[in-house]
Order: sequence, then C-alpha cells, then structure tokens
Amino acid sequence: MNLIKYGEKYFDEVEISRYHRKYASVSAEMNDVSMASMNDTTVWVIRGVTDKRMGIAVVEGNREEKVLKGIELAYKLSKTNEPDSAWESFPDKKQNYHAAPPVDKRVKDVNPDELIANTIKGITEILNKDSNAVVAGSEMGAVWIENSVENSHGIEVTQRDGGMYYYIYAIGRKNGRVTPGIIELDARREAFVDVDFVVNGVLEKLKHAYNMLQADSNESSLIFEPLALAELFTYALYPAFRGERCVKETSPLCNKEGEEIMSESITITDDPFHPKSLNPLIADDEGVATRKHIIVEKGVFKGFLWDNYWGKISGKDSTGHGIRTLKTGAINIGAHNMVINEGKRSIEDIIGAMKHGYIVSSLQGAHSSNPDTGDFAVVANPAFVVKDGEIVGSTVLMLSGNVYSILKNVEEISKESRPMYAIARGVYPYVLFRDMKIAPVSR
Amino acid sequence: MKMDIIENVIKWAESNIDADYVEIRYENISRLHVELKDGIFPTFTTRGSEGFAVRVLSSGAWGFSTTTSPERLREAVEKAHRMAKAIGASRKEKITLAEIKPVKAYVNSKMRIKPVGVSIEDKIERMKELEKELKKESCVKSIQIRYEDATGKKILRTSEGTEIEWDMNYVWQYVWVTGKDHKGMAAARDEIGSVERGWELFEDENAETISERILRKLKAQLNGVHPKRGEFPIVAAPIIVGIIAHEALGHLAEADLTINSAFRDLVGKQIAPEYVNMSDRIVEDGFGNDMYDDEGVPIKDVHIIENGILKEIMLNREYAAKWNMEPNGHARAESYSVPPIIRMRNTVFERGDHTLEELLEGIKFGYYLVDFRGGQAELNSSFQVGVQEGYVIRDGEIAESIKDTSISGIAIEALKHISAVGKDFGLEMGRCGKGQMAYVSSGGPHMRFEKGIVVGGQQ
Repeated sequence: MNLIKYGEKYFDEVEISRYHRKYASVSAEMNDVSMASMNDTTVWVIRGVTDKRMGIAVVEGNREEKVLKGIELAYKLSKTNEPDSAWESFPDKKQNYHAAPPVDKRVKDVNPDELIANTIKGITEILNKDSNAVVAGSEMGAVWIENSVENSHGIEVTQRDGGMYYYIYAIGRKNGRVTPGIIELDARREAFVDVDFVVNGVLEKLKHAYNMLQADSNESSLIFEPLALAELFTYALYPAFRGERCVKETSPLCNKEGEEIMSESITITDDPFHPKSLNPLIADDEGVATRKHIIVEKGVFKGFLWDNYWGKISGKDSTGHGIRTLKTGAINIGAHNMVINEGKRSIEDIIGAMKHGYIVSSLQGAHSSNPDTGDFAVVANPAFVVKDGEIVGSTVLMLSGNVYSILKNVEEISKESRPMYAIARGVYPYVLFRDMKIAPVSR
Repeated sequence: MKMDIIENVIKWAESNIDADYVEIRYENISRLHVELKDGIFPTFTTRGSEGFAVRVLSSGAWGFSTTTSPERLREAVEKAHRMAKAIGASRKEKITLAEIKPVKAYVNSKMRIKPVGVSIEDKIERMKELEKELKKESCVKSIQIRYEDATGKKILRTSEGTEIEWDMNYVWQYVWVTGKDHKGMAAARDEIGSVERGWELFEDENAETISERILRKLKAQLNGVHPKRGEFPIVAAPIIVGIIAHEALGHLAEADLTINSAFRDLVGKQIAPEYVNMSDRIVEDGFGNDMYDDEGVPIKDVHIIENGILKEIMLNREYAAKWNMEPNGHARAESYSVPPIIRMRNTVFERGDHTLEELLEGIKFGYYLVDFRGGQAELNSSFQVGVQEGYVIRDGEIAESIKDTSISGIAIEALKHISAVGKDFGLEMGRCGKGQMAYVSSGGPHMRFEKGIVVGGQQ
C-alpha cells in the first residue's frame, strides 16, 4: 500500500521514515568471549500535521497493518496537540542529493564465526604479550543499515550503508593496583577491522599505565587525543552551533557570526563526505540533502546548523541537519561528521618537543559540561605524563576551564586524524592546548 | 495468548535443542513521550514496543536474539542457540548459572492512578502549568519539559519453569531551564519519576514545588563564583551523597565490574570508618523497586558496606555462580531488544547521627555540595560528578554559591576520609547508562569528607 497516500487521508501533510538495521556482534568480558547476538530490527516513524498540530507514532517491526495503525494513532494524538502557529511545512523543495558513496555489501553477511575468531585473537594477543593485562570488555560487530524517508511533498530518499566496529577495554593489575582503563577502537565502512591496530594500541598505553604518578596542581600543556577531543566538543561546544539556540538567544555564539571565536588554527566543518567519514549520509532524517558545511573557518564563526523547522523560522532554510531521536521520533539539530582540520607535524614530533605536560586519552564526565556557557570541569582518565619528550607514566587529573577560552590557546594540531564513531561521529586530530588548569586526582 | 505461544516454543526447545537454559522475555508496552519546549510541543509521540527477547545458554556460552513476530519466535530460539554453540566451542571457562527456585507469580502495579487512565489533555495542561510557573521568574530564558509514561506488560518464561508476568507502569519527567541575567548564562536540571506512584506523584510534585527547586538551583548558578580548584573539606547533601554512592561505589559493586575493579581484592575488608553503611535496597518509592529481576530472581537488599566493611556485591545468576554466592536480583534489561546485565536499583548511604550544623562545624574553608548534573565512574575507582548547586563553607557557615564545577576522587581513598554521617535522608530519581538505560534512585544523609575529594575550578 502507498503509505503516504494513506497518511494523507488523515493529515494535511505526513512524513514516514523507516529505519532498518541488521547486525551481528560478539562480546567478551573477563578475558573470554561471552555472548553472540544476531538481529534484524525495523522502526517506523510517522510524523503528521493537521491544522498545524503535530502527532508522532513510532512503530516497531515489519507488519504493514502496524504501520497503518501507527498512522491512525499519530492522527488521533495530533488532535490533542496544540497548534503551532510557527509551523510552515515538512521539507517541500526538490533536493539535489550528493552521489551516494560506494558501500561494502559484504558487511550484510559477515560470518559470526569470523567475529568470534577475531575477538579471541585480540584477547589472546593482549594476554600473551602482557601477563598483567585483563580484557575487561571487548566487542566486534557488523552493522548494515537501510533508512528511508518520504513525505507528502515528494521527498523520497533511501540510503544504505554498512561497516564494522571493534574495541577492547583493558586494565592492568600490578602490585595490588589497578591501572586506569585503556580503550582502543577501530571502525570502518567495510567488512574488515584492524585487530592488530587495536591490540597494539592497548598494549602501548598499558605499558605506560603501570607507572602511576601524581599530576601537578597548576597550569599545564595538554595534548587531547581524538577520543577526548570528541568527548569534550560534543558536550561543551557543539550544542552552541544549533540554530534553535540562536533563535532563542541561549547560544553563547548568538550574534557572533563573522567574529573570531577561537584560534585561527582551527577550522570545524560538518562534512559527511570527508574521505575518513563513517557517516556519509546524502540526506538528513527529514530528507534534506546534506553537504559540506563550514562552521568555523580559521577561528571565525561562519554560521549555525538548521533543521527544517528552525531553518524556516529563521528564514535561513534547512542546512540538512535534522537528526531524529529514534526513541521519540522527534527531530533535533545535530551534525553528521564533524571534521577538525589537521596540522603539519606528526604527533610523535609534538610529544617529542614537549618539556613537561600530559596527554589526555579519554574523559570522565564530559556530559556534565555546561552547553549554555562552554564551562567544563572533567576528569582526564587516563592521562599520560610527558617529560622531556617521553611518556613516563599515567595519572588521573581534574581539568577545568571554558571551551571557548581553551580554543584560543591552541598551540598545535597534529597532521594525523582519526575517525570517531562511539561518542561523536567525526574526524579528529590530536590538539595541544597550553595553560590548562589542572589538579591531581590520583596519588 | 502470548503466554501460550511462549509456552509452546519453550516446550519445543526442551526437546529439540541441546541448551542448558532457554529464556524468553516478552514485552508489550505503550509509551507516551511529550516535550514542551518554550511553548510548543515538538515531541508528541505514542510508541508501541512489542517483541520477544531470547537468551540461550548452550555449550557454556550465551546466544541472544530478538523478534517482533510470534511466528518467528522458534526461529529466534534456533538463532540464539546457534550463536551460543558457535561461541561456546571457543570459550575457555564455561558459563554456569547459580541455582534458583523457579517462580510463578503475577506482579501487580502499586499505582493508585495509572498514567493510561489520565487524559492527554490533563497531561499537557500540567506541563503548561509548570512552564507558566517557571516563566514568572524574569531570568528564565528557555524551558524544556520532557514527560514520559508507560503502561503494558512483561512476561518472563524460562526452561527451568519460571513464569512471571508484570503489570508494567512508570511516569518520568525531566526539566532543563536556561537562565540569563547581567552576569551571564546558566542552566539547571530536575528529574523525577516513579514506578510505584502514578499520576498521584504530581500531587506532591506540583508546579510550585518543582519550580521552586529548579529556580533555587538556577539562581545559585547565576549568582555563583568559580570555585578554587583542589582538595577541600566537603559537606555533601543527600543528592550528592547519593550520586557518590551510585557512581563512585555502586558501579564497582556490580559484580561484572567488581571482578575487574579496585574492589575485587577488598571484599571482606575494612574500606571505610565503622559508622559508614551503604546498600542497594528497596526504598520507599524507589525508582529501581521491583519484586523480581529479569532472570526471575527475587530482589534482595544488598549490604554493600556494613560498618565500614565491603560485604556484598550485586549479582546476576552467572556472576553469582562465578563468585559462589546467592543471586540477589540485579539482572535488568532496558527492553526486549537487549539482554539483562547487572544493574543497580536504589543505592543509598544509611543514616548516622549528626545534624547538618555539626557537619559544618569547624570547617574554616570548604564546600557544601547540594545537587549534581551527570556523573561517571571508572574501574580504578576514579569518579566524577558535575555539580549544579553548591556553596562555599566559610568558618562553619554556608556562604556564597559556586558555579560550573565538578568533583572527583578515587573512591576507595575518599571513603576513608568520611568523618561524620548525618541523621537525615533524601532520595533522587534518575537514569543510569551502562550501555543500556535503567531507572534508578540514589540518596542518603548529609555526609562530611575531610579530604579525598577534588573540586574542579577555574580559580
């Protein structure tokens, strides 16, 4: 049945999205594989508007009769909503979609036995090379997605993508002490993950983690690894880029378009089609075409991100940044693949030139940052201590500041960057900040 | 009807697959999600979640699959069985389950007014009233109110004969308010919820009460000064004490984490002064309250710290067998789409005998911390808690408020420096993320830490 036509019997306009996900995964804990899972899930989201009143239904499964009932339920619900006088319409312009990047279809049929064998290989190599190591958790999986969105105004787009992910989370136990947890991960848009890369990454960090030192209590230079940078920016910086906050004047970047807001060495772009992107979407969750979008160029704020609703209210139109919360079906503003520019020197050279400082590997509590001001007080766990260009041990330290202030104190950016998928999808380099306020947590 | 389908598949599995254990969990739950954001309702959603979770233990390993279709339930069991066999062949130590007595039970809701019995018009009217109340304060610039309720049923049937049906209901509300004045911008959050009180929850938690609470936190932030960073004496109010119990200690007492954590070698040892007691237990209107867990194990109180000694940890059946202990009902699954894992319920420090005045006495300079915004723990017992309401303590008196800070410490160190425990008690409802979301509560009395807690500050 034509679902849009059915929806139009009830609503002035309707949007129907389908999210299909097929995955296989193997998880491990305590140095051994423990569970294998295989699933196919489908979620439908119906958003309909009548007399400027919106109703949403979220339906699970593949049965058409459930989707039809969902349309009716969304309509019934919309009758009880209040009219939103600012509502204009769902996206109604013809979209020019970017060509879809090639997809590795082998991901759909990754053999679970292969996942099991590779997960065991990773654990065995860690334990063989470090007898004090414990693989506290690990997971390898393959995910295939097929998403589509269509609406009453002729928007109709389907996207397919797939990839594999793998992580190891390990600790070391020596002389009655537990090291900070070490995480290393790999994710790719192909039927392959690099087990050796993840294993070697964990072993290299564990090697330094056993020598636990106390951090200083002063101002210091800190190198943020890509994961730590992604964590901090996701909670303390990116919310300020949402156009809704511009309209409501709750973004610290209100009225700052064209102004220098951070070091001129920083450029931030939302680029789904970057060569390292793990999220090459051609359309957002409202069916609006995505594109490369410069947010900060050489330190200057270029403009906000907009979804359909707030784009129409502001008169700036959607920039293709409508992101659906699948739990509720609602749309919020968000980015697809944040890219921080690369620098010139290698991370080895940057560390080699450091007299005294720390490398922040990952953060605890980034989500407690204040998105309205950019203020943060987070824990670097683990952080690694650098003396005279060498990593000499690990520590746990508290660091506090304001994201806009520290971004004015960028000393250097590495020439290497890595794609991140777990916290914030994007491509992040290592960034050296100077004069960050720190306090020791571990002794 | 659904029970018959499950029953038939369990019977089929008993005679057709060589599994040690088969578990089918069925859920059919309707949820309402409404969000009021600065005068409009952009989220106005009904969500139906109906499906089966299948967990099979075979060859000493787990296989897991789900389906939304009753016709494909047998296929889901076969798939989970196949996965378990494949992984079991490679596993060094075989997974076993601690013995339990199979349970046949129906778990009734304790709610007086179930959310399904309240009209949507009344629900949105209540949210509008709260928004109106908050807007009376001129510094309030943006208000987001998220409301969620659920009604439905859950069935658990295992190959061991456990057969439990729950009448599932909850209500939940989250408020985020952004304020702005000549000093700058600040935000405050507030969260409430219940699995035992339905619409009656809002008789106590009315617009005035909630608004007063949020505005107190917001004004404390707006008028606050940046704290000094470093280690200072801390007096923690019940909500902060609760989040320390949850983040700093509770997670380490979840057996799947204990085994890798700083707690592993401390079970049975003195880790805090003898007047410190901490539990994960059933509390009045606790958001983690229930009768049985998602493996059908009756829920027992877990005395994590008793007279300063690390006594008990939270277990599921797998880890109970591993630790040679009795399972205590802490296996919880967010929904049918995920397997149960070890989770907290209501984690609390127990009362002592001091007044707040006694706890503040003698502190020349320190901090009084009242409410939090987010927290996180690590296996080395390092914890971090964001603070959304706190004050300076000067010469034993509560002085000016502080803003945008968090506290951190190494829990097993900080515990040793608890110098006094209050005689009051408070509880906060919230959510915990450990790959899956779970409704929990945490709380306790006021407590004083002489040292061991680092305050993050821009001074």
